[in-house]
Amino acid sequence: MEIIQIIGMGFIVTLLILIIKQQRPELAVQLSLTLSAIIFLMVLSKLSVVLDLFRDLAEKANISQMYLNTILKIIGIAYVTEFGAQVCRDAGEGAVAGKIEFAGKILVMVLAVPIIALVLDTIVRLIP
Amino acid sequence: MGIDVLFKIAGVGILISVFHTALKQAGKEDMAHLCTLAGFALVLLWVVQLLGRLFTTVQDVFKLF
Repeated sequence: MEIIQIIGMGFIVTLLILIIKQQRPELAVQLSLTLSAIIFLMVLSKLSVVLDLFRDLAEKANISQMYLNTILKIIGIAYVTEFGAQVCRDAGEGAVAGKIEFAGKILVMVLAVPIIALVLDTIVRLIP
Repeated sequence: MGIDVLFKIAGVGILISVFHTALKQAGKEDMAHLCTLAGFALVLLWVVQLLGRLFTTVQDVFKLF
């Protein structure tokens, strides 16, 4: 029951942040950052099992490894971007969070370009 | 590792706020600020190590290179 652990950690950290925030807001931000990193680490080890299953399924279905890898990369970039942006927004820096999200969107778009090109190629070939 | 690093950070935070108040009361403003900075750097060291682990794990799981 990992979720109980995570909820407990969340409660404890919330209380600690409430204590620390008045005197040391910068340490409160670091505390919440640490909590999110720890939770991410706990969840990612579970996620890797699911992703391995997806890779197996794609291999069985004869889907090119390139597509799955692109999708996984996009999901990874989205996760990390969201993580960074939320930490910045929690600290009250909405502008920095916006820039991080912007960079994440651009990088996702760059990764998606080969697939978009392939789709357009297919459409052009379908049109007589 | 989990929960202990959280308690370490919270402990450093509380300790530093106590030190800050005490040094300020004693009239050593610059020392109080140095103390705050030292605590911040110490906590940043732990947080950066953890973040490095997090990012390498994300890179491993999602095959980002």
